[in-house]
Amino acid sequence: MDAGLLEQMLLGALLGLSVYLPLRCGQLSLATPGFFAIGGTVAALLSTRVPALAGSGSTYPITSVLLEMALAALLTGVLALGLGRVVLRLRGIYLAIATIALVEILRVVTLNLEFTGGALGIFGIPQPFNSAAGYAAFTLALLALICWLCDRLEKTRPGRAMAAIRDDELAAASQGINTADTKLLAFVLSALVAGITGVVAAHFLNSWNAKLGNFDASITTLAFVVFGGSRTWLGPVFGGLLLTALPELLRPVGDLRLIVFGAVILVGPLFFPQGVITPELFKWFKPRIGGITTAAAQGVKQ
Amino acid sequence: MEGLLQLLFNGLSVGAVYALFALGYTLVFSVLGVINFAHGAIFTMGAYFTYLLIGGAVGANGLLAGLQFPFALPFWLALPLAGIAAAAVALVVERIAFRPLRDRGSDPLLALITSLGAGVILVNLIQLLVGAESYSIPVGTLGSLPAALSIAGAKVRTVQVMLLAISGLLLAALSIWINGSRSGKALQAVSEDPVTAQLLGINSARVIQIAFGISGFLAGMAGGLVGLSISIAGPYFGIGYGLKGLGVLVLGGLGSVPGAVLGGLIIGLAEACVPADLSGYKDAVSFGFLFLVLLVRPQGLLGRPQANKV
Repeated sequence: MDAGLLEQMLLGALLGLSVYLPLRCGQLSLATPGFFAIGGTVAALLSTRVPALAGSGSTYPITSVLLEMALAALLTGVLALGLGRVVLRLRGIYLAIATIALVEILRVVTLNLEFTGGALGIFGIPQPFNSAAGYAAFTLALLALICWLCDRLEKTRPGRAMAAIRDDELAAASQGINTADTKLLAFVLSALVAGITGVVAAHFLNSWNAKLGNFDASITTLAFVVFGGSRTWLGPVFGGLLLTALPELLRPVGDLRLIVFGAVILVGPLFFPQGVITPELFKWFKPRIGGITTAAAQGVKQ
Repeated sequence: MEGLLQLLFNGLSVGAVYALFALGYTLVFSVLGVINFAHGAIFTMGAYFTYLLIGGAVGANGLLAGLQFPFALPFWLALPLAGIAAAAVALVVERIAFRPLRDRGSDPLLALITSLGAGVILVNLIQLLVGAESYSIPVGTLGSLPAALSIAGAKVRTVQVMLLAISGLLLAALSIWINGSRSGKALQAVSEDPVTAQLLGINSARVIQIAFGISGFLAGMAGGLVGLSISIAGPYFGIGYGLKGLGVLVLGGLGSVPGAVLGGLIIGLAEACVPADLSGYKDAVSFGFLFLVLLVRPQGLLGRPQANKV
C-alpha cells in the first residue's frame, strides 16, 4: 500500500479518537477540527519562522517536532480548559452546534489574519522525514501510544466515570461523580489529541491553511466514530482508518467514488447502529476457556 | 438615512433566505428531534431545478452536458415547480436516511450521519450530472421588471424586494397552516409527543412526511431565489448556507417557527452591519453572536428550556 495513504489513514484514526473521547462521556463535541487547525498552525509558524528549531542537518530535527507537539498540546489544552468550562454547560445538539460555531470562528479568523498567511496559508513547512514511510512509522507509534493511553483510561476511575455519565448523567452525579470535571477532562484530552495530530499533519502536508479545519472536517470525523463505534477506542480507530482510505480505494469506480462513499455512510448506521466495533464483538472472539463459569456469569446477569 | 435604509434592505433580504432555510430545519427538528444534514444539498437541488426550468443549458462538464429543456418557463412559475421537485427529493431523503432508522428504533443521533451520507450522495450526483462550474440565472427572466427600485432615496435591487416579499408570503402561509389547519395541528401534536399523537389517531409517519415535504419545498424555493440574486456557485454552494441556517436555527430556538424567522433576520442584519473593510470577518460575527447567545440563553431566543428529567 502507498505509504502516503497509510499516513492519512493513521491521521484519520487519531482524529477519530479525538472525537471519541468526549462522545464516550456522552458529549457530542465537534470541536476537533478547530484544535487540529490550531496544532497545525502552531507547527507551521514555529517551523518556518524560528530558525533555531531547524537544526544543522539536512532534515528537520525530530526533537523540534516533539517540541512543537508539546507547545501545541499546551496551547490547545489551556484553550480547551477555558472554553470547556463554558460550552460543556450545553447539552446534546446545542453543544454540537456551539462547537461547530467555535470551529467556524477559528477558521474565519485564521483566514483573515496576516501572520497565518490568509487564504493561501503557510508554505514550505520543513520535513523531518524524507519519505511518507517515515511519517507513517512516526504516526503509527503516536497512534499506538494514544490507543494505549485510551485503553488505560477506560479501565481506570475517570474512564469509568465517563461511561457512567454517558449512560445517565443524573445517576452518575448522584453516585458522587463530579460530572462537570469529568466532562471537562474528556474535552481537554480530545483537544490535546487533535492539537498533536495537527502538528504531524502540518509537516506531512508541507503547507497549512484555514481550509483544513472546517465544518466538513467536523462532520467527517464524527462519521469515523459513529461508523466505527463509540464504546471502545478501537471503534474510532477502525472508522478513521477505513473511511479515510475508502475514497482512495474506490478510485477504480472513478466519478462515482464519492457517491459510493456517501452510500457507505448512509447504510453503515442502519446495519451497525452501535458502530461496527462493539465490546460484544470482543466477547464473541474470546476463546471459550472456562465456558461453564462464563455461562454461569451470564445466567446471573440475565 | 438612505444608507441606513439600504443596510436594512440588504440585511433583511439575506436574513429572509436564512429564515426560509432555518424553517426547513426546524420543521424536521420539531417532529423528529434531529437535524437533517442533507438540507443544504436539497437547497442546492432547488437552485439547479430553477435554472433548468427557466430554460438554462447544462455546461460541457457533466454527464448531461448540453441538456436543455425544450421550454423556458417564466421565473414565477419555475420557482414553485423547483420547490416541488426539491420537496420530492426531501421525501426520498426521508425514505432512505430517516425512516429505516425509525423502523429499527435506533438512536436518533445516527440520523445525523445517515442524512450526511444522503447529502454527500446528492452533492456528488449534481457534480456528476451537471459539472462543477457555476451557473447564473439571468435577471432577464423577471420579464419587464426593472433591475433596481428607488425606495425613499435608497436604491434597492428588485431581486432583494422579491426575496423579501416571497419569503414573507411563505412564512405567513406556513404559520397559518401550522396554527389553522388539521394537518398543521397534527404536526404540533407529533412534535409534542409522537407516541401520544399516534394513540390519539394521528398518523405520525404521514405527518413526518408532510414535514419533510414542506421543508424541502422551502429549501428549494430559497435555493432558486439565491440563485437568482447571487448565482449558483457550484454543487457545494448549499453547504455554507446550511451551516449558517444551523446557526440561525439555534439562535432562534430549536423547533420554534417564529424563532427561526427572528434568528434569520437578526443574523442577516448583523452581517449587513459589518463594515466593508472587515467583510472577511462576516461569518465570524454571526457565529460569535450565536456562541454568546447560547451561553446566556442555551435554549435560544424563543425556544423552550430543556427540563432535567430523571
